[in-house]
Amino acid sequence: MSEVREEELVPPPPAWGMSARRWLWLAPLLAAMLLPFLWMVALSVSPQAGNSFTKALEGPWDFSQYRTLFETGKMGRYLLNSLGVAIIVVVLNVVTAAMVGYVLGRKRVPGERFWTMGIVATLMVPKQTLMIPLYLVLARLHLLDSYAALILPFAVDAFGIFLVRQYVTQLPIELEEAARVDGATDWQIFREVALPLLKPVLAVVAIQAFLTNWNSFLFPLIFVDSDHLRTLPVGLALMSQTEHSVDWGFLMAGSTVASLPVLVVFVAFQRQILSGLLAGAEK
Amino acid sequence: MRTHSRATAWFLASPWVVAFALFGLYPFVFSLGASFTNYTPLAPDATRFVGLANYARALHDPAFWSALRNTALFVLGTIPFTTAASLGLALAVQPAFRGRTLFRVGFFLPSVVSIVVLSLVFKGLYASNGGLNSVLALMHLPTPAWLQDPRTALPGIMAMDVWAASGYYMIIFLAGLEGIPRDLYDAARLDGAGGWARFTHITLPLLRPTLLFVLVVNTIRSLQIFAEVFVMTRGGPLGSTTTVVYHLYEQAFSRFQLGEASAIAYLLFLLSLGLAWVQMKAVGAQEESRG
Amino acid sequence: MKRIALALVLLLAMGACAPAKKVQEVVFWQFWPLEVIQPLVTAFEAENPGIHVRVEQLTWDGGKDKITASVAAGNPPDLCELGSTYMPRFLDSGALSDWSAGVADLRPGLRGWEQCMVGDAIYGLPWVLGTRALFYNKALFARAGLDSTHGPVTWAELETAAARIQKLGGGVHGYGVSLNDKQKLFKKFMPYAWGNGGEILSAGLDSARFDSPENVAALEFYLRLRKVGTLGMQDALDQEFKEGRLGMQISGAWLFKQIPKEAPHLKYGVALVPQPAADRGTHASFAGGEVLVSFQASKRKEDALRLARFLVRPDNALALAIAAQSVQPATVSADTAAYYRERPMQQVLIQQFATARFTPNHAAWDEMEQAIESEVEQALYDKKSAAQAVTDANARIAGLLGKK
Repeated sequence: MSEVREEELVPPPPAWGMSARRWLWLAPLLAAMLLPFLWMVALSVSPQAGNSFTKALEGPWDFSQYRTLFETGKMGRYLLNSLGVAIIVVVLNVVTAAMVGYVLGRKRVPGERFWTMGIVATLMVPKQTLMIPLYLVLARLHLLDSYAALILPFAVDAFGIFLVRQYVTQLPIELEEAARVDGATDWQIFREVALPLLKPVLAVVAIQAFLTNWNSFLFPLIFVDSDHLRTLPVGLALMSQTEHSVDWGFLMAGSTVASLPVLVVFVAFQRQILSGLLAGAEK
Repeated sequence: MRTHSRATAWFLASPWVVAFALFGLYPFVFSLGASFTNYTPLAPDATRFVGLANYARALHDPAFWSALRNTALFVLGTIPFTTAASLGLALAVQPAFRGRTLFRVGFFLPSVVSIVVLSLVFKGLYASNGGLNSVLALMHLPTPAWLQDPRTALPGIMAMDVWAASGYYMIIFLAGLEGIPRDLYDAARLDGAGGWARFTHITLPLLRPTLLFVLVVNTIRSLQIFAEVFVMTRGGPLGSTTTVVYHLYEQAFSRFQLGEASAIAYLLFLLSLGLAWVQMKAVGAQEESRG
Repeated sequence: MKRIALALVLLLAMGACAPAKKVQEVVFWQFWPLEVIQPLVTAFEAENPGIHVRVEQLTWDGGKDKITASVAAGNPPDLCELGSTYMPRFLDSGALSDWSAGVADLRPGLRGWEQCMVGDAIYGLPWVLGTRALFYNKALFARAGLDSTHGPVTWAELETAAARIQKLGGGVHGYGVSLNDKQKLFKKFMPYAWGNGGEILSAGLDSARFDSPENVAALEFYLRLRKVGTLGMQDALDQEFKEGRLGMQISGAWLFKQIPKEAPHLKYGVALVPQPAADRGTHASFAGGEVLVSFQASKRKEDALRLARFLVRPDNALALAIAAQSVQPATVSADTAAYYRERPMQQVLIQQFATARFTPNHAAWDEMEQAIESEVEQALYDKKSAAQAVTDANARIAGLLGKK
């Protein structure tokens, strides 16, 4: 199947007039949404301001908090751990969601509705109650305090499976049926016909899996002891929390740095959501 | 042919079934079982079966009902707004226009930051002399002590939740929108259908599965909110922001009474299940089996 | 391509299984930053060749959950730091190791044994302690025409000072009244109750004593302070104090660390919590601390005890207290150390220990504290009178006595 380049099919960007109208009512909305984020960055460069936004805006700004962050070298390690673990979890999630979501969406198993409900049901229990039993499972498997503890419990996520399943139910089945008539096996149909059509939703699964895993605090805290295996949120908490107070400047600097990889992932993947434009054009 | 495709299906799903059984199903069943006992992690050998005692205790506790009421208020007050806002944002940033990526990223930004940090930032914003009140003072509007007044604390947290979640569900709607074949719109335009007609007759119906997803998942998440409450108000003032999960945490978890905690959790689970079922009936009605 | 990636991923996942645990290690879980604790641990290892210690830092937020999970799974650390707020539940569970014989000789030299004892049996070693005292703003005192060389000594002096500072206006408040900041309100209100002679439970922990005229009077006093002050949660009040807009508040030693960094020009002082009157009551306050314990299921119990005994030596506890700044050593004569003699404000905190009260070690203590805090909150929001709040709190406490 030849890859048609998106640029060849999409008309040139619209005139500035239409864009300007959109900007008119979207820009203020955007500003409102960004304000708290601006606060965060402002606090990160004004350690003397505590958590006062007005003081942060007026006072002298210095980036010393960012320097301190990386001074001990731990931050780099935590970043790498988070990155490595998140990438693997994303890959596993996307693969699972694609396969299981497809199978469920195309009703390939008996009692599919029941299985779907069951999978979604696991989302309905607050994770605080699942914490201890999960810990016990990991302990019995001797997986505590290892990368496996940060990856395996999160490899299969009901959220992604459910999302793909929903998407698949609305996907036209004609292409797949045509391929079956042509004699393709199930696996071929899945890989060559269905999978490309799933790109937009898989992009979303990737983004959300990355995001959830990146900011995950409670489970990485409980399942991992060793400092060299720690992920970012736990490391950041250790470095900025004291018993009675929060080191605001430091925490905000760390959080700003922590937000950047997710942003990069988002910008990179959100273009994939566009590829659905091709789906209709193939007809 | 049928059995062949079924076998393939099972094969495709098998490694994940194992992982799911271990890390998804087992903890679920364990805590369900624990809810019928007096299990406490500090003394696991002293566990005894207590039947429905934990459930009875939860249901007889006025604090539980108060937490349930707060949670219901929260869900009813945020889901409609978040759904509408995220759909609206998705529609706004879906067509190609200059700077579209900037807006997509910008609206998504709140979801990128950890909920704890977001809550801390909003806690400062809502302070008596904080950012929000400064702005309101400039406009000569009243400046309540948002998080200290039982009447405004929960709405304050709700507003923050809508703000934070809209961008997140926006991208899910974006993906759903991209799955709608372009030529349907073209054909409709040829037939003379206007923007609103195209929206109600093409977009909405084809968006149903995605809409159902957003509703179900957002409801489940909202029923469980905890971190925001923990950071911003600790369930106060006067218990007005205590949600069911916060109640669970404060009552049972901090006392290591996992049996009691699990009972509360499973009562919440039943509620989530019921709501999801209702939503599926209402919105997901049209799932013709296309396989 | 995807298949290769998958295979790689699975390989990585399997290869990343838990490293073989070195059996000769003593596992020590604690809450202080590694830069602070490592020197002490290294010194211990030097003194005890053959013992290797593996230190892990826990976060305050979630650390207790981690400890609990490890006990549930049967693989707790050998030595662990527990906060005094966690102690009642752990003591009640029977999961802690009995150290009565192993630490008897240390009894005279340390304070705060109440935190780790049940009857005559000892289940831990007090390591560092924390208390609350009255922080006051000297500049505001001077502006209000008050003597800024010392803080108020009695309730009446406190109220007068607060009133005068409140009158200064311009965003300045006299006294910072704590709202229901969970597990913090208690520490800011009870000093007045205890100082006035009030109690919570009987000495045998078997009956509720909260409903008393002394406690009602203390609560009424606390409520009156709202008129000459402002209400807020701990971090909001601390922030106002650091910005120089709050005359007085009860707070703790963490301010010694924050003020030099965030408000280096602030002129402030520390005083013992005022007592009801010159001839009545005491300068009572809240006291809590960090305790070192070992578990029944711990593997290296003797070495853990040896490490614990090392850590509570006066020099070592002092080193930790200096590095952390927010706590003081549990050593009895800590205030005579040169470090504290040079820092009179911190010395006041140590002196406060002499009249400070630890919380009762009843298994249901968490809930009793919640009861007191929520009833005081009702009174703060004028939903109940002080007398009614105290009576209701007492009823709730009494109901919890037989419970676990």
